[in-house]
Amino acid sequence: MGLSTKTGRCQALLGFDKIRVVPGTARRGIVIMMENAWLIPLFPLLSFLILLLFGKRLKEASAYVGILFTLASLVYSILVLFERFSEPTYGTNFEWLTIGDIHLTAGFEVNQLNALMLVIVSLVSFLVHTYSKGYMNGDERFPVFYAYLGLFTFAMLGLVISPNLLQTYIFWELVGVGSFLLIGFYFYKEEAKAAAKKAFIMTRIGDVGLFIGMILLFWQTKSFEYSEIFKAVDAGAVSGTMITLTAILIFIGAVGKSGQFPLHTWLPDAMEGPTPVSALIHAATMVAAGVYLVAALFPLFQASKTALLTIAVIGAFTAIFAASIGLVQTDIKRVLAYSTVSQLGYMMLALGSAGYVAGVFHLMTHAFFKALLFLAAGSVIHAVHTQNIEEMGGLWKKLKFTGPLFLIGTLSISGVPLFSGFFSKDEILAAAWEGGHPILFFLALIAAFMTAFYMFRLFFMVFTGKPRTEMKNVHESPANMTYPMMLLGVLAIVAGYVNTPWFGSFLGDWLVDGNPRLGHAHVEGPIWIMIAATVVSLLGIFMAYLMYYKRSLARNWLSGTGDTLHTILTNKYYVDEFYQLTVIAFTKGLSYFLRFIDVFLVEGLVKGVVGIVQGLGRTGSRMQSGQVQTYGAVAFIGLALLAVIYALTGGYLR
Amino acid sequence: MSSVPASAFLALALILFCIGLYGALTKRNTVIVLISIELMLNAVNINLVTFSKYGLNPSITGQIFALFTISVAAAEAAVGLAILISLYRAKKTVNIDEMDIMKH
Amino acid sequence: MNLHWILSILVFSPLLGIVVLALLPKTQEKVIKAVGLLATVPALLLALAAYLHFQWGKDLADFAVSVPWIQFRGMGTQEPVFSVYYELGMSGFQMLLVVLTAVVATLSAIAAAKFVKKEWKGYFMLFLLLETGMLGVFTAENLILFFIFFEITLIPTFFLIGKWGYFEREKAAYSFLIYNGLGSAVLLIVIMILFGKTGTTNIDLLTQMMADPNVPLSSDLKLGLLIALLIAFGVKLPIFPLHSWMLKVHVQAPPSVVMIHSGILLKIGAYGLIRFGMGIFPEQFKTLATLIAVLGVINLLYGAFLAFIQTDFKMVLAYSSISHMGIVLIGLAAMNEAGVQGAIFQVVSHGLISALLFFLVGVLYERTDTSLIENLGGMAKGMPIAAGFLLAGALASLGLPGMSGFVSEFMAFLGLFKELPWVAAVGTIGIIMTAAYLLRAVLGMTYGKAHREFTGVLDLKGVEFVPVVVLMLLIVLIGVYPSVLSAPLQTTLETIMLGIGG
Repeated sequence: MGLSTKTGRCQALLGFDKIRVVPGTARRGIVIMMENAWLIPLFPLLSFLILLLFGKRLKEASAYVGILFTLASLVYSILVLFERFSEPTYGTNFEWLTIGDIHLTAGFEVNQLNALMLVIVSLVSFLVHTYSKGYMNGDERFPVFYAYLGLFTFAMLGLVISPNLLQTYIFWELVGVGSFLLIGFYFYKEEAKAAAKKAFIMTRIGDVGLFIGMILLFWQTKSFEYSEIFKAVDAGAVSGTMITLTAILIFIGAVGKSGQFPLHTWLPDAMEGPTPVSALIHAATMVAAGVYLVAALFPLFQASKTALLTIAVIGAFTAIFAASIGLVQTDIKRVLAYSTVSQLGYMMLALGSAGYVAGVFHLMTHAFFKALLFLAAGSVIHAVHTQNIEEMGGLWKKLKFTGPLFLIGTLSISGVPLFSGFFSKDEILAAAWEGGHPILFFLALIAAFMTAFYMFRLFFMVFTGKPRTEMKNVHESPANMTYPMMLLGVLAIVAGYVNTPWFGSFLGDWLVDGNPRLGHAHVEGPIWIMIAATVVSLLGIFMAYLMYYKRSLARNWLSGTGDTLHTILTNKYYVDEFYQLTVIAFTKGLSYFLRFIDVFLVEGLVKGVVGIVQGLGRTGSRMQSGQVQTYGAVAFIGLALLAVIYALTGGYLR
Repeated sequence: MSSVPASAFLALALILFCIGLYGALTKRNTVIVLISIELMLNAVNINLVTFSKYGLNPSITGQIFALFTISVAAAEAAVGLAILISLYRAKKTVNIDEMDIMKH
Repeated sequence: MNLHWILSILVFSPLLGIVVLALLPKTQEKVIKAVGLLATVPALLLALAAYLHFQWGKDLADFAVSVPWIQFRGMGTQEPVFSVYYELGMSGFQMLLVVLTAVVATLSAIAAAKFVKKEWKGYFMLFLLLETGMLGVFTAENLILFFIFFEITLIPTFFLIGKWGYFEREKAAYSFLIYNGLGSAVLLIVIMILFGKTGTTNIDLLTQMMADPNVPLSSDLKLGLLIALLIAFGVKLPIFPLHSWMLKVHVQAPPSVVMIHSGILLKIGAYGLIRFGMGIFPEQFKTLATLIAVLGVINLLYGAFLAFIQTDFKMVLAYSSISHMGIVLIGLAAMNEAGVQGAIFQVVSHGLISALLFFLVGVLYERTDTSLIENLGGMAKGMPIAAGFLLAGALASLGLPGMSGFVSEFMAFLGLFKELPWVAAVGTIGIIMTAAYLLRAVLGMTYGKAHREFTGVLDLKGVEFVPVVVLMLLIVLIGVYPSVLSAPLQTTLETIMLGIGG
C-alpha cells in the first residue's frame, strides 16, 4: 500500500486531488500494477516528447528511445493483464472539467477488455517499433517517424483504458491524428497528402456521429461514464428510440474508424503510409478501435435490437463487399487493406449478432495475423522495391523467412483449421447463425471463401512461379525485421487456442466474467458450421491454387469473357468517383454559391449603402454654393419656420 | 414724457431689421451688404433700449448693452471693411457673387 | 493590503511606454523596439499576478476601484442628477480576458519588432495606446467607461492598419472604421437610453435593476435595446452579414496587428454580448435564443464553406474566424452553463489559436513574400519547424482534443444539444467542414511537391520561437487541463445563470 499512497500524493500534487475509486470495484487487494496502469500510455508519450525535442540530435538512436519506452509499456501491460486475472476491475477518476454543477471526470479503468487490448496494442506497437528500425533505416526523418509512432501508441493505449465516453472520444481523435501524420509521412508525395487528408476527413465524418451520439447520451443519462450509462440503460431511464438513435450514431463513429461501408474508402488509400504503419495502425490497432468501441459499449447496443441489426448488416455487407474488391487488386498492400476492411466487417457482424466474445476474439487474432501479413509484405517490398504483385513472383526461395511467415499469416486469415483465424472465424459464423441471421451467415461464408481465394492468390503470385520482372539484389530483411515477424507468426498460430471448442473457452469465460450483459462466453453452433467453414476456405485455396499456381484455370475464368464485373471490381465499385461527383461536388458548388452571395449580395448591400451615402453627400455639397447670401436666406427661413412652429405649438413638439 | 407706446419702437425696429435683412440677403454689392448688417444691428439696439425703458423690469442694463453693441459693431465694421478692401485689391471687385474662394 | 490601484496601473501602464517613446528620436530602432516590448510587460506581470491571486483562493473583488468622476448637477440642487464613476473591476471572466490580452499584446509586440519595417516609433505608440484601450474595455465596470475605452481601441487600430498594412491598407482601414464606428454609435445610443432611464451605467447595478419589475423600461424597449446591442457587437464579432470589413482587415493589416485584432478585438464583441447582452437582458436574450443559435450556425457554416475555396491563406483564416465566432454564438444561444462556458472558452481559445496562426503567416510572408496556398506548396521541405507548428495550429483550430479548440467546441455543442438539438445537429456539419478547409489549406501549403525552391528560406529562429511556443503551450495546457480556465469562470457563470433563472 506504500506505493499507492505515494501515487495519491503525486496525483494530489498535480491537482488531481479528487480521486475517487469507482464504487463497487474497490477491494483490499494488492493491485499495485492496476493502480498505476495510467503509466502505460505515458511511456510512449514520453518517447514522443523526447523525440520531438531531441530527435534531431539522437538521429538513428531515436529508435532505441521508442523501442525502450514501448517495451516498458508492454511489460507493464502484461503485468496488468496477469494481475487482472486474479483481481476485479479497477478504476479511478479525477475531476477534469467543471461546468456549473456538471463535473466531468477523467481517469482510467482496467477491466477484462481493456487489459486484453492493452497487451495487444503495446505488443504490436513494440514489434512494429523494432521492425521499423530496419525498415525505415536511412530515412531522413527517422526520428520524426518514431516520434509519431510514440504519439500514436500513446493515444491508442489511452483510448483502451478510458473509463468514459468523453475520454474515449478524446483519444479516439488523437489516434486519428497519429494515423493522419503517419499516412502523410512521405509528405512530399501528392498521393500521401491526398490520402492523409482523406483519412482525416472521412474518419471525422464518423467522429461527428460519435460526437452527437455521445452528447445526446449524456443528456439522457447525465454521465459519460460507461458504468453510469449502462446503469441508466438497465434502469430504463432512456427511451427505446433514444437508445437506438444514440447507439447508431455512436456506431457511425465506429464505421468511420473501422473503415466500414460506406466510409471505407480512406483505409485502402491509407496504405500510402510506410508499411510498418499500415501494420500497426491500419491493421492491428486503430481500425480495430471501432470494434473496440462497440464492444466497450456493448450493453448499450444490446438494449436496442435495431442497432444490433444495423451493425450486423453493415458488418456482413462490408465483409463481402471489401472481399470482392480484394479479389482483383494488384497492389500487395491494397489487397491486405481490403482484407482488413473485410475482416473488420466480420467483427462487426459478430458484435451485431450479439457475439461479444467472438468479435473481441477475432479482433485479437486478426491483430496478430494481419500485423504479421503487413510486416511480411513490408519485408517483400523492402526486398523488391515494388508493391505491384504482377511484377513479383518466385520469391519463396529468396526470402527464406518472409515466405513461410507470410504463409502462416495467409493460412490463419483464410481460416485453415488449427490456425488462430480458424477458431475466431468459426466463432463468428456460429454467432451469426445463432443470432438468427441466416442470410448474413451465408454472406459471411461467401466472404470467407473469397478471403481464402484472394489471400492465396496473393501468396501464389508473390512467392511462387517465375519472377515476372527482373529483380536485382533481392535479399532477406535484417534480423530486427524478421524477429518481430517470427513472434507474430507464433502468435498467429497459437493465439486461437485460448478460446476453442475443444480445449475450453478460457478467453470467453474470462471476458464475460461478472458481466452477464455481455452474453455467453461461448456460442455453441451446430457442428456443420465448422465443417462448412473449413470446406469453403479449402475450396478458396484450391481455386487460387488452380488459377495462380497450376494455372490450369484461366484467370478470367470467374468473370467470363465480359470484363464488366472485373472493371467494376478494379474500380472498387466506383465509390470514390461517386463521392467525388456527389458530396465533394455539392460541397464545392455550395461554397461557390456562398461566395457568390458574399461577393454580390453582402458586398452589394454594402456598396448600395455606400452609394446612397455618397449620393446624399454629393447633393449636400452641391447645395454648398459658397454664396453667403444663400446660406443666410436658408438660415433665416429655418429660423422663421421654427418661430412659426413655436407659435403654433406653444413651445414643445409633442 | 410723451406716451409713445413701446409697440411703436418695436415696429420701427422690426422695419429696420427687415430692411437690413432684405439688403443683406439680396444686394450684390458687398458694401451695401455690410451697411445692411449695420441696419440690423441698430434694429437690435432699438429693441434693447426699448426694453430697458418699457420692459417688465426696467433697468439701465439694456442701454449699456446697446452701447456695447455699438462699439462691437464699429469694430466689426472696421474689420469687415478691411477684409473687403484687401479682397477688392486682390479681385478688383466688390460683387458678392464672386466672393466664393473658400468654396473653390 | 490595498490593491485598488493595481487595475489602474495595469490598464494605464502602456501609456508610460508612450511617454518614453515620445522622448526618443525616431531613428533609434533598437531602443524603440525594446521600449515598445518592455512597456507591455508590466501589464502582463500584473495580469498574471491577478491570476495567481485568484488561484491562491483570494477574492478578485479586492481589485475593484470606484471613484466619483463626472457629475452633472441640476439647477439649484446639490445632489448630482447624473454621475459617472471611474470604476474598474475584475470578475473571473474579465480576468481571463485581461490575461489573454496581456499575453497576446506582448507576443504581438515581439511580432511587430520582427515584422514591422518602418516608423517603429509611431507604430509602438499607437500599439501601446491600443493595448490600454483593450485592457480598459475588459476591466471597465460601467458602460460609459467601457465606451470610452472601446473608442480608444478604434483609433489606433485604424492608423495601424492604414499605415502599416499591405497594398489595400487604406481601404481596409476605412472599412474598419466605418463599420465599427457605426457599431459604436448604436452602442452609444443604447448606453444613453439606459443611462437616461435608470440614471446609472454601472453594469452590476443595471443587471440588478433590469431584474426589478419597477424599473421604467417596458419589455419591448428592452428587446429593442438587446437587438441594438446584438448589432453593435455583431459588427465586432462579426455576425453574418456584418462581416465583410473584417475580411479586408485580416488580409490587409500587418500580421502583428491581426494577431491583436483577431485575437482580442473580435473578442470584445463576444465579451459585450455575454456581459451586457446576456447579463443585463437575460429574459430578452432568451426570446432571441433561437435566432442567435441559427445565426451562430449560419456563421459557422458560412465561414467554413467559404474558407473551403479561398486561395489566400489569410482569407482562409479570416473566414475561419467568422466560422469560429459562430461557435461562440452557438454556445451563448444554449443559455446553460455548458454553452456559456463553451462560448467563453472559445473566446480565449480562438484568441490564442488565431494569434499563433497569424504569427506564422507573418513569418511565411516575411520569408517568401506570399501567403497564397498554391505558391507555398511543399514548404515543409524548406521550413519543417514552421510547417509543423502551422499544422499543429490548424489541428488546434479544427478542434483536436488535447488542445483548447476541442474543449470549447465540445462544451458549446454540449450546451446547444440540450436546448435545440436540431439546430445543433446542423451545426455539426461545421465540424467536418472545419477539418476539410483547414487541412485543404494547410496541407496545400506544407505537404505535396514543392512548387519552388525553398533553399535559402530560413526556418523559425531565435526570438520567433517565443510567441509560437508560448501560444502552443497555452493551447495545449487549456486542452489538457481545462480547469485552468473553468475554475475562475464558475462565479461568473453562476451570476449569469442566476439572471437567466436557469
